[in-house]
Amino acid sequence: MNLRKLKELIKKEMLILLRDKQTILLLFLMPVALIFFITLALKGVYTDKIYERKIPLVIENESKLPKANLLEEKIQSNKLIERVKRPQGMDNDRIFEDGKAQALVIIPKGFDEGQKPVEIYFDPVLDTGYKIAVRSLMTSLTVEVVMGIDNLDAVVANLIVEKTKSNKAFPSPLQHTVPAYAIFAMFFIAIPMSIGFLKEKNDGTLQRLFTYPVNPNLVALGKIIPYYIINVVQFLLMMLVGVYLAPYIVGSSFHLGEHPWHLIPVTLIVAAATTGFGVLVAALARTSEQSSTLAATGAILMGVFGGIMVPYFVMPVVMKKLALISPMYWAHQAYLDVFLRDASFSFILPKLAVLTFFALACFYVAGRKVKWI
Amino acid sequence: MKALEISQITFSYNPSANKSAGDSEYALRNFSMRVDSGRIHALLGPNGAGKTTLMRIITGVLRGYSGDVSILGSKMPDPKALLSIAYAPQAISLYTTLTARENLRFFGAMANLSDQQITERSEAVLAQTGLTDHAGEPVATYSGGMQRRLNLAVALLHSPQLLLLDEPTVGVDPQSRLNIYETLLTLNAAGMTILLSTHIMEEAARLCSSVTLADRGKVIYDGFMSEIDNLEKFFLEKTGRGLRDE
Repeated sequence: MNLRKLKELIKKEMLILLRDKQTILLLFLMPVALIFFITLALKGVYTDKIYERKIPLVIENESKLPKANLLEEKIQSNKLIERVKRPQGMDNDRIFEDGKAQALVIIPKGFDEGQKPVEIYFDPVLDTGYKIAVRSLMTSLTVEVVMGIDNLDAVVANLIVEKTKSNKAFPSPLQHTVPAYAIFAMFFIAIPMSIGFLKEKNDGTLQRLFTYPVNPNLVALGKIIPYYIINVVQFLLMMLVGVYLAPYIVGSSFHLGEHPWHLIPVTLIVAAATTGFGVLVAALARTSEQSSTLAATGAILMGVFGGIMVPYFVMPVVMKKLALISPMYWAHQAYLDVFLRDASFSFILPKLAVLTFFALACFYVAGRKVKWI
Repeated sequence: MKALEISQITFSYNPSANKSAGDSEYALRNFSMRVDSGRIHALLGPNGAGKTTLMRIITGVLRGYSGDVSILGSKMPDPKALLSIAYAPQAISLYTTLTARENLRFFGAMANLSDQQITERSEAVLAQTGLTDHAGEPVATYSGGMQRRLNLAVALLHSPQLLLLDEPTVGVDPQSRLNIYETLLTLNAAGMTILLSTHIMEEAARLCSSVTLADRGKVIYDGFMSEIDNLEKFFLEKTGRGLRDE
């Protein structure tokens, strides 16, 4: 192999790539912007799905007797509840419609005497899980007041013990978006890669190149290596954004996990898969229009199915099965293994094997289909 | 000595075409020609004559032909022989986001020139084509004439013995055309053999001492320019006046 020629081929490709401002925007600024916007947008979804959320609730104590007052006090001091006041003249339906509250509790006259029950009204569109949670809370607190128990949880402590493991399945919004959109942008390398190849083919520079004693495999390497390097740099940049910049903008921190050095093999193999995809598009497309459509559509579809745009854990079962066909799924899960699950390398290895297979398949098909001239 | 010898070349872009297929299946059929060392030889023909295909075969870009190509006595394909020829394609085949110097550096490295040779030869060919003052600017900012001259400069970089030019003056102003003509005549005077493919009859008559006229993949005339009184008239007589929308 002629290393000097390879060096010049890489240098030429890098110069062309780095002087193309649109490509730089696409490869580096697009994922940064997406990380910030999507993280902020996903915060609500994640809060509902994973984290404890306070329910805005109106409490109306019509009784004002000791038990009713105690129940009112217990409800409003509960960490699940955010007490709100009923706006002047607003009926129950309007409160829910306007989003002022999601539940309403009325402690009626006669509660202390055991003549009337506590009334609970829910916003009809409130998630069933929250309804059940609030209803259980009301039941516990009412039992405590009526039975004269100070803390029902303490009474049942010997009967029920919660042994939930720490969260290893659900990434935080930032943990999701940083690797997700880094991977997404890495796959977008297929656009400049294929357009660059077709441009050289169409303007005759590639044909001119082959009038010199240059091996086509060397030319292919000279095209692949720069994009591979750019892919790795893209990922590093996204990591820096996630660790150092994102906390100031989205208000949460990004952790690299217990074994951050696992990022090295994962990133090297993900970059091989993304460059493989780029090579495949370059080999299959006949025009620039075809290549950008093929690359963008391919990347977006892989993103949709692969749990990039819609987080994997909120997908329905059918979509979760479909996700397996997307290399982005395997790449994202490999990164989450590192960031979230503190996984051993042997745990990540099967995902890397799938990505390696994808990369090799892409290079093989591209090698069969490519037309240099 | 023959700088270039083409013997019985047959080539089709359709890989499944067989020997019994009609002539229209072939870009070149039993095509033979010779270029003596030290000449500027014109390769003429209407669209679809097979001129560009022949250039691509000579430069080793196209394979899968039958027949022989010899360059300065070496039978092609021969990677070493490739270094004794240079090809300036009809299209401006340059990296337009790179500067002229960066283009020269890249193609110089591909031609196995050392760093020092690249530097020295780059300055020489830039001066020869009048581009020294603009050598640090991206090629995209060049006029059509400047790009044509740089297209030629890249071909001259490694001092080839045989220069193949495919319509080197298309779309250039008279000043750039004159510069290209003067450069070619100077190079030829210094011993370089040039194969010039062109549609401009005046250009061929002015620069070339021998000529091959091709049509529909076959040679229809091979001789000296001095034997032809009026090249354009001769061309039309041999190839006909019908339009060639191929």
